[in-house]
Amino acid sequence: MNPHTTPVLAISLALGTTITISSNHWVLAWTGLEINTLAIIPLISKSHHPRAVEAATKYFLTQAAASALVLFSSITNAWATGQWDITQLNHPTSCLLLTAAIAIKLGLVPFHFWFPEVLQGSPLMTALLLSTLMKFPPLTLLLMTSKSLNPTLLTAMALASAALGGWMGLNQTQTRKILAFSSISHLGWIAIILVYNPKLALLTFYLYTIMTSAVFMALNKIKALNLSTILTSWTKTPMLNATLMLMLLSLAGLPPLTGFMPKWLIIQELIKQEMTPAAMAIAMLSLLSLFFYLRLAYHSTITLPPNSSNHMKQWYTSKPPSTPTAILASLSILLLPLSPMIHAIV
Amino acid sequence: MLKIILPTVMVLPTALLSPPKFLWTSTTTYSLLIATLSLQWLIPTYYPRKFLSNWTGIDQISSPLLVLSCWLLPLMIMASQNHLQQEPLSRKRVFISTLIAVQPFILLAFSTTELALFYIAFEATLIPTLILITRWGNQPERLSAGTYLLFYTLMSSLPLLITIMHLYVKIGTLHLPTLELTHPTLSTSWTSVLSGLALLTAFMVKAPLYGLHLWLPKAHVEAPIAGSMLLAALLLKLGGYGIMRVTLLMGPLSNLLHYPFLTLALWGALMTSSICLRQTDLKSLIAYSSVSHMGLVIAAGMIQTHWSFSGAMILMISHGLTSSMLFCLANTNYERTHSRILLLTRGLQPLLPLMATWWLLANLANMSLPPTTNLMAELTIMVTLFNWSALTIILTGTATLLTASYTLFMLLVTQRGQIPSHITSIQNSTTREHLLMTLHIIPMLLLILKPELISGTPL
Repeated sequence: MNPHTTPVLAISLALGTTITISSNHWVLAWTGLEINTLAIIPLISKSHHPRAVEAATKYFLTQAAASALVLFSSITNAWATGQWDITQLNHPTSCLLLTAAIAIKLGLVPFHFWFPEVLQGSPLMTALLLSTLMKFPPLTLLLMTSKSLNPTLLTAMALASAALGGWMGLNQTQTRKILAFSSISHLGWIAIILVYNPKLALLTFYLYTIMTSAVFMALNKIKALNLSTILTSWTKTPMLNATLMLMLLSLAGLPPLTGFMPKWLIIQELIKQEMTPAAMAIAMLSLLSLFFYLRLAYHSTITLPPNSSNHMKQWYTSKPPSTPTAILASLSILLLPLSPMIHAIV
Repeated sequence: MLKIILPTVMVLPTALLSPPKFLWTSTTTYSLLIATLSLQWLIPTYYPRKFLSNWTGIDQISSPLLVLSCWLLPLMIMASQNHLQQEPLSRKRVFISTLIAVQPFILLAFSTTELALFYIAFEATLIPTLILITRWGNQPERLSAGTYLLFYTLMSSLPLLITIMHLYVKIGTLHLPTLELTHPTLSTSWTSVLSGLALLTAFMVKAPLYGLHLWLPKAHVEAPIAGSMLLAALLLKLGGYGIMRVTLLMGPLSNLLHYPFLTLALWGALMTSSICLRQTDLKSLIAYSSVSHMGLVIAAGMIQTHWSFSGAMILMISHGLTSSMLFCLANTNYERTHSRILLLTRGLQPLLPLMATWWLLANLANMSLPPTTNLMAELTIMVTLFNWSALTIILTGTATLLTASYTLFMLLVTQRGQIPSHITSIQNSTTREHLLMTLHIIPMLLLILKPELISGTPL
């Protein structure tokens, strides 16, 4: 890609995100979303591979449809109530429309079909952007409108996301698709708590961002796009591979790793809201995703030679993993003891 | 508490940084030192809890188990020496660190007075155990064993987490001594029964109860020796400990919970003993024998009388030492013959005479012959169960008989008879192995002189 293009795209991404998360007016928020969409498309399609172009097209179509729905819902709301304030989304139809629109943008079940395909078509670092940064503006919109959303609808979508995200990830062998389904099931956790405790939803999103970024960056370092590549990657960065296993188990939410903190707090909040069956259901559904995280973990370090050595060995690369990877990896493993502080800050 | 936990954590840098020559020596010595220090927990006091702080406190139920876990760490390190001999240095270090990493969590789980912290520590032991089994096991089946371990435990413990949070929201505290005063699940509504069930099931799987035990023989068979010792001596006790804590918390149980668990526990003791009789795999036999013994512990935990609790405590400690020793013995055979199959490792007495003595002692302890605490424990438990219902004597009596028979079977098959023709030369037993067995058997034999150290009376 032209060296001048990348900064332009990066600035546009930052700009779009900032505009949406800081706006108070529906049109401005919509503008930010559109800027974001347009800025990420060249990043997705930059490899000129047919799959990349396909991913870019799919991404563009879904996002354009979702943005149109956002616009439609805000106009309906403005028509009925006479104002464009994001926090004043009072009209029931526009609430439903907005929920659907944001669900498409985020990839919540039943609007999730585009997400694994797009992630599979884009490079790992773009996939990282797609599953973290690009979810931030829509999520902000949901947070700002959280008190007028329909809790039943969101809970149903959340449970469905957790279930399908876990279930469909089970027979995947491509790391990007697995991470896409992991993202979908994590979105389920975020969506289930959104109405009841928006700050907790944000905290969950932050922690998910940290953990998934660490995993994506580690996979990018070892250039692992599918399970069999991970299996042979242990010679490149042995330490990183060992940490990758812990990062994955942290994504799965096993104590004493960071990933347990959002699960714990969300379960507590749900029970406080008399939603014990929902808490039970989503906790059990997270076991589905644990299965594929566990398989990734097995591949990353647990099955390494001398126990199974009939494959080609790859050799050490000279460069150690970058500092951000190391920082994110430590954060994604070790944050649980700090949970009171983190809970107080967010 | 920190007096022990911090040094235990600091064994990690010792394992990672000590010079290669002294790697085993320094870690073993250091952890033995910690084990010696931990003996102070056994000092009796007038107060219900010793060393009480905001989050931790030791009472009569936890102190023997804490000392047992501190005692087992050097033994686990010692037992793994031979099997790691061929590995490069960095892998040895990582292995020892994984072993050590479980220890602080086990100590926390046994000593904490906060239910949420207990849950976290209880679950946190999973990851190092998983790594021990699936990374350092030998057969490819170790992966499915790891998956079984993880999923059995998590399936049962997520309801536990939900219930703990439910208790917290309902009562406002998770401090165990406070909770014991409130008896949160006393009422007979369905919610209470279900919370009681959820509270118990997690520990029933860990203990393990017959019917929920399938992960255990798999894990034991696939695990390296340290993993087996850890599972048999400590993690199962975590289950027994949890049952005792939780039943104390729940007060008198409703029969809806009583009957199924008691029936399964006693029937399981009988069934697993019979399964032992037809085992061909030595490690699997010992694993099933663990299930059978832990069945008695579960039954005693459900009865909830002083006698039954002290019986369960004594049985947990003595079984911890006995089964760990049996696994060590099985491993010494395995390292020499590279087989766990009983048919292939027969008649080793003429070749390893001193080892045969250890086998005899360990097996006598396992079948609970008089001067051992095992006998005391089994008698106490049988008496309490008899007191609860006279019919249980049929089950417990038969189970004891079967225990004696399969233990005798194990002893006779491994030690007596003809040496199979394929065993032509065998490596001598080493001083390290004898030391390992001695360190197992000495506490076992000495404890009968002062059993009140481990017969925790619930307060």
